[in-house]
Amino acid sequence: MAKSIGKSVVGVIRFPGTNCDRDVFEAVSKLGGEPRWLWHGDLFDHKEYSALILPGGFSYGDYLRSGALAARATAMKSVREAAVYGTPILGICNGFQILCEARLLPGALSRNQGLRFIDEWVELKVVGGLSRFGQNAKVQTASGLRIPIAHADGRYTVSVDEANRLEDRGQVWLRYKVNPNGSVADIAGVTNEAGNVSGLMPHPERALETWMGSSDGRALLDLWS
Amino acid sequence: MGQDTRDNAELDRKLRHYRLSRDEHRRIVGLIGREPQGVEWALFSALWSEHCSYKSSRVHLKGLFNQSPRVLQSFGENAGVVDLGEGERVAFKMESHNHPSFIEPYQGAATGVGGILRDIFTMGARPIALADYLCFGRPEAKRMEKLVDGVVRGIGGYGNCVGVPTITGQTEFDESYDKNILVNAMAVGLFRPGEKVFLSKASGVGNLVVYAGAKTGRDGVHGASMASESFDKESEKKRPTVQIGDPFFEKLLIESSLEVMEQDLVVAIQDMGAAGLTSSSFEMAAKGGVGFTLHLDRVPLRDATLEPEDILLSESQERMLMVVEPSKLERLQALYHRWGLDAVAIGEVTKDRVMRLYWKGDLLTSIDPDLLVEHPPRYERAYESWKPKHRITDGPVLMASGLKVGEELLKLLGSAEGASREFIYRQYDGHVGASTAADCRESVGVVRLKDSGRGLGVVLGCRPYLMRFDALEGGRDTVAYPSLELAAKGFEPLAMTDCLNFGNPERLEVMTSFVAALGGMNELARELVAPIISGNVSFYNETEGRNITPTPSTGLVGLRRSVEELPTSNFTQAGHEVFVVSTSKIFEFGGAFAEKTKLEPRAMGAIDRDSVKSLVTSLLAVEAGGFIQASRVVGKFGLGYALSRMALGGVGAEVNGHSFAELFSERLYEVVIATSLSREDFEKQWATASGGSAPIRYLGRTGGSILKIGSDVELTVQELTTVYHRGWVQSFPNLAVNV
Repeated sequence: MAKSIGKSVVGVIRFPGTNCDRDVFEAVSKLGGEPRWLWHGDLFDHKEYSALILPGGFSYGDYLRSGALAARATAMKSVREAAVYGTPILGICNGFQILCEARLLPGALSRNQGLRFIDEWVELKVVGGLSRFGQNAKVQTASGLRIPIAHADGRYTVSVDEANRLEDRGQVWLRYKVNPNGSVADIAGVTNEAGNVSGLMPHPERALETWMGSSDGRALLDLWS
Repeated sequence: MGQDTRDNAELDRKLRHYRLSRDEHRRIVGLIGREPQGVEWALFSALWSEHCSYKSSRVHLKGLFNQSPRVLQSFGENAGVVDLGEGERVAFKMESHNHPSFIEPYQGAATGVGGILRDIFTMGARPIALADYLCFGRPEAKRMEKLVDGVVRGIGGYGNCVGVPTITGQTEFDESYDKNILVNAMAVGLFRPGEKVFLSKASGVGNLVVYAGAKTGRDGVHGASMASESFDKESEKKRPTVQIGDPFFEKLLIESSLEVMEQDLVVAIQDMGAAGLTSSSFEMAAKGGVGFTLHLDRVPLRDATLEPEDILLSESQERMLMVVEPSKLERLQALYHRWGLDAVAIGEVTKDRVMRLYWKGDLLTSIDPDLLVEHPPRYERAYESWKPKHRITDGPVLMASGLKVGEELLKLLGSAEGASREFIYRQYDGHVGASTAADCRESVGVVRLKDSGRGLGVVLGCRPYLMRFDALEGGRDTVAYPSLELAAKGFEPLAMTDCLNFGNPERLEVMTSFVAALGGMNELARELVAPIISGNVSFYNETEGRNITPTPSTGLVGLRRSVEELPTSNFTQAGHEVFVVSTSKIFEFGGAFAEKTKLEPRAMGAIDRDSVKSLVTSLLAVEAGGFIQASRVVGKFGLGYALSRMALGGVGAEVNGHSFAELFSERLYEVVIATSLSREDFEKQWATASGGSAPIRYLGRTGGSILKIGSDVELTVQELTTVYHRGWVQSFPNLAVNV
């Protein structure tokens, strides 16, 4: 049953070093949701949340590997339960890296091909039918979405066979029109087999209003299509 | 050898080690009535360093224009604070990290960013924007490619991780920076309505002195005095005095410290920057007219072998010193612990104005903090009054023959000085915070203020080639040019910070340019009511006897009614009418083109503050009407280059023909404007707004994919773009933008 975002309580998880937490919190609020903070060191009852977001940033300073330490945080036990339960979970940038490190999403995000941090506006296509996220975007914007990226480790990496399988099952949901970082098959976002856990490297919360440079991000944060 | 000679030799050795002069030693003995002992040497060395004491500049800084009804906090605190109205206030400051960045570019630049951020959030303001002013040597100079790479990675590595967007910057290249690069970082922080400003003045006898953040290590010991010396061939050996930054730790420190302040758990707070624990504790006590008892053995250490002197001088990063009421200590500690940080009481506030430093129960010194903080020597370094050079009374200022306009424009766009900076800003997160309305791609960086919806514009100033030509005009330009950049986008200039990078002040010509530039800056700041509310002086930018270009960089903030419909810096639409508006009086010189092509230097006129003010006011009035769609202040390389840059957005233009001199000389000040109004309507609007005080000239119309200037120039937008980007890669072959 489709839920309206207006009735949705969205848990926003803060890890040490997360730096897009307040941006995401405000974005959810702006789009009519009810954001609630979740702390990395605490378990939580996932049934109290209609959706969860893991925002971007540098959890644990990206030490060891991006997302590797956060994936082992206490709160991730509750996130796993929510994933199994079917709660929509979105990981943005570092949140995507964390979900991959937690094996809740396939593949890994490695250092950009040019070995540098990239801040840039990119054009995206919403593809695949599986992800709970971005369903509206497919209809609304046949021409593509303009959303910024900002990452050093955004090169989506899986074996060619696995990439083909993801493709076949509709798990690739977001693709770059021009590949900025060397990602396999221009992949900007993937989802799990159930379609409720999705990750993406671009930052939709930074593209909500015309003055930001684009309002296309709204279509990706429309969590309950 | 007699006893006296031995004593003298011993004293000289000590003075060299602590970077103090014989005169300064005599002054110390006079002040404390005896020879300094033990750690006292280190205390005087740090607090009397040029970096901490401003001993060569203070007499000139005293007269700076630093007040307006908007100024809530000026010099003397961690940063200046300006009232924006509607409950919103901003704190901002710029600081140099030149010497460390030359020795170790990544860490030097990174800790420069970290340090300036701490100055901001120490006051209770959340950092919302960063800007960087960088001067490098020629691309072919030794190590230069590595220095550029390291500095940019360092700034990005720190700023991106702490989550503060870098929204604007300026990068210059010149031979005078070959062996002494400049890295100046500016940070802006926001107090939202109801949020309190915290200061560093200690108070409350019996209150605790609390240390929070990272543990103390050996890094940066003697950093402040190192930064106050000229460079030589031994500089390489100074690497251990460069601090190491940890942006992850800083991020935790930002969040926890802001929470601590939000819950009103601290009385006073200061970050441990240059000269670490020494400067923070002595300055806090001196400001409050109190004393501290400090137990150095309670300072959390990363290295257990550190001696008291190392602890006092360490410049380990990400540390704060606070004064806390005893009843609030537990809550404060709990809050820091939640963020994984330590907070330890290391002493307390005492009534008498004496600093008592203990080490494992032994008293190391008891000394009046005022002697160190308020009584360093004040030097009146010799200087001369400023004499303009290369002046002519009849033009043109640019005497070039046989040069083709189109070819020269492409050469400029393809040079290190004129090429794209995309390689740099692409490595900075410009949008974290989700408030950025204009990033480094525009001439003014803009963040939206969340509560009022208004726009805060940030822009940097100082053009080294103009400083080399004339330090007085260059000083005026450090305020006038960025003010016009702000006004051309609709931002009223409010206040500014500066970072005065100069050579060795003991040299007559250096001090002469310092005084002239500061005078020019001050004159325009007063005229435009843009008070100078914070800043930093970096002297001794001298390597092997060679001094840098005098480089007084500035950072200005301005306010706009909203962030909607900001004028762009490029042409964005066909059919817009293009004008040049200018000051009624003009300073005209051969500019960067004459310098680059080694033409005879010539100039006419002077920057006139009244007519700059009129132009600023007129631009603001016309922009408020919504009549400016694109704008660019004509700057480096003159009008032809400015028009070329405006065509890089993909839309060309066709404008009237101009002489070579008109296109390549620099006339201060001209602003190119593209408007959607008809020619007649815009001229009417301008006449009303300016009251005839600022001339206007019609140039032509936007459209097509070609930049056409009279019959001399016809360049495709594609060609301009290609050359502009290729220019960077040709200058720095190993620093390409591609994936």
